[in-house]
Amino acid sequence: MSKPLLTGYCLVIYAFLLMPILVVVGASFNAGAFLTFPPQGLSFRWYVVFFNNDVFMRAIRTSLWVAAVSTVISGIIGTMAAMFYIQHSGRWKESVRLAMLLPLLLPEVLTAISLLFFVYSIGIGTKTIAAMIIGHVLITLPFVFINVSAAMESYDPAWSLAARSLGAGPITRFRRIMLPLIKPGVIGGCLFAFIISFDIFTISFMLKNIGTATLPIQLYDYLRTNFTPEAAAVSTVSIVLTLAVVIISEKVLGLRIHRF
Amino acid sequence: MSMRARSAKPFLLIAPAVLLLGLFLVLPYINIGIMSFRNPGNGSPYAPGFTTGNYLRLFSDSFYLEQIANTLMIGAITTFACLILGFPVAWQLARTQMRFRGLAYGLVLSPLLVGIVIRSYGWTILLGNNGMINRTLINMGLIDHPLGLMYNSLGIVIALVHVFLPFMILPLMSALQGIDPSIEAAARSLGAGRITAFRRIVLPLSMPGIQAGCILVFVLSLSAYVTPSLIGGLRVKTMAVSVVDALIDTFQWPFGSAMALMLSLTGALVVLIFARLTRMKWKAN
Repeated sequence: MSKPLLTGYCLVIYAFLLMPILVVVGASFNAGAFLTFPPQGLSFRWYVVFFNNDVFMRAIRTSLWVAAVSTVISGIIGTMAAMFYIQHSGRWKESVRLAMLLPLLLPEVLTAISLLFFVYSIGIGTKTIAAMIIGHVLITLPFVFINVSAAMESYDPAWSLAARSLGAGPITRFRRIMLPLIKPGVIGGCLFAFIISFDIFTISFMLKNIGTATLPIQLYDYLRTNFTPEAAAVSTVSIVLTLAVVIISEKVLGLRIHRF
Repeated sequence: MSMRARSAKPFLLIAPAVLLLGLFLVLPYINIGIMSFRNPGNGSPYAPGFTTGNYLRLFSDSFYLEQIANTLMIGAITTFACLILGFPVAWQLARTQMRFRGLAYGLVLSPLLVGIVIRSYGWTILLGNNGMINRTLINMGLIDHPLGLMYNSLGIVIALVHVFLPFMILPLMSALQGIDPSIEAAARSLGAGRITAFRRIVLPLSMPGIQAGCILVFVLSLSAYVTPSLIGGLRVKTMAVSVVDALIDTFQWPFGSAMALMLSLTGALVVLIFARLTRMKWKAN
C-alpha cells in the first residue's frame, strides 16, 4: 500500500473505533425525549434527570465501592504472587505464570456461571456483595500480576541483600527498598484492575442481587426497556470518570500500563 | 532466622493466590462439570442423581446445533474481519515514524477504557432502524426503507469487530515490531516484488502475532454476552446469550451447564485445530 493510502485507511479505522463512543457522548446532549437524529437541540436536561435518579446514583456508588475493594485485595495478592514468580518460582516459573493468567484465558461467561453455582453450593449465595467481589478479584488479578512482574524484572535482588546485610528486616526491606522501585508497576496494575472492575459486566451480572447492581448492570437493564437519552448521560459520566482516573495518573505519576 | 522459616517463607507469598484460584476458579469449574451431568430439577435448580440426558438433548435438538454453528460462524467472521481491518493499522503503528504515533496508539487503546455496555449501546444508536446510519441515508435520499442493520447477525458482527479490534491490533503490532525491516529490504534487493516480500518474509514472521490475535478475538467473541444481547435483541441469539438466559430466567442449571461447557469445548477445539494448521503452514514456509 502506498503511504497516503495507508494513512487514509488507518484514519478510517480510527474513526470506526471512536464512532460509537462519540455518538453516545453526542446523544447525551440531545434535548428531545427520544434518541432522534438529527438531535432536537442541545440541553443538559438528561444530566439533571440522571443526577436525580437514585437508582443510577446508587449503582455508581456500588461500582466505585466494589472496584475499590477488589483493587485493594487483588493488588495485595497479585503483588505477592509477582514477587514469588520473579524471585522464587525457579523451574515452576512457566506454570506459575500460566496459573496466574488463567482467569484471563478462560471464557468470562463460563467463569461467571461456574462461580454462581459454586457460591450457592457452599452457602454464600449472592445475598451479600462478597460473591461479586470474589469474582472481580479473580478477573482483575492477572492485570496486577502482569504489571507488577514486568516492573520486577528490572529489580536486582542484590539490592535486597545489601539492605539485609545492613540489618534491615524483611518488612523494612520490602517497604523501603523494593516497593519504591516497583511502585509504577503496582500502581499501573491497580489502576487497570480498578478500570476493569468498574466496567466488567458478565461476572457482575451473574453474581448480582437486588440492591447490588453495578453501573454497567443498571445501564443494561435500563437499555432493555427505555430509549431516552438518560442512558447516554449515564454513559458519558462513566466515560469521563474513567478518563479522569487515567489522565490524572498518567500526568501525575507518569505511568506506563502493560496490558499484555 | 532458622532454616525452616527461610524455606517456608517464599511459599507464603504465593499462598493467597493459590488459595483464591484453587477455591474460586478450579473448584467451581469441577463443580460445573459435575452439574452438567445432574438431573434437571422440578421447582429446584437440579434433582439428585446423574444423567447424560443434558448432552443428549443438546445434540439431538437441531435448534441448539444451529445456534452453536451460528455462534461459531459469527466468531470466525468477526476474527477474520478484525485481522483484515487491523493488519494495516498494526503495520503502520509498528513501522512508520509518524508524528502522532502516541496519539494513534492511544486511539487504538481508548475503546478498551470504555465499558462494553456503553460501546454496544453506541452501536444500537448507530445501527437501529431509526438509527443514525439509516436516518442519514434516508435523508440523503439514497434509500427509501431502513436497512436491516440491527437484530441480525450482521449487526452483531459489526459491533463485535469494533469491541475486539484492539485485541487483534496489539499482538499484531508487537509481532511486526520484532521483524527487522532490513530482512524485508534484503528480499527486495534480491529481486522479490513487494507482494512476494510480504508473502514470503513479513507474513511468516508475523505468524505468532496473527495466531495470538486470532485466538484471542475468537474466544472473546464466542463468550461475548452484552453485545449480541443488545444488538441481536430477541430475534438472533448467540449461544452465550441462550446459556445466560437459560440460567437466569428458567433456572435450568444442569442443562445450562452442559450448554456452557459445550460452547467452550467446541471453541477450544476450533482454536486447537487453527493453531495446528497455522503452525504447519508457518513451518512449511
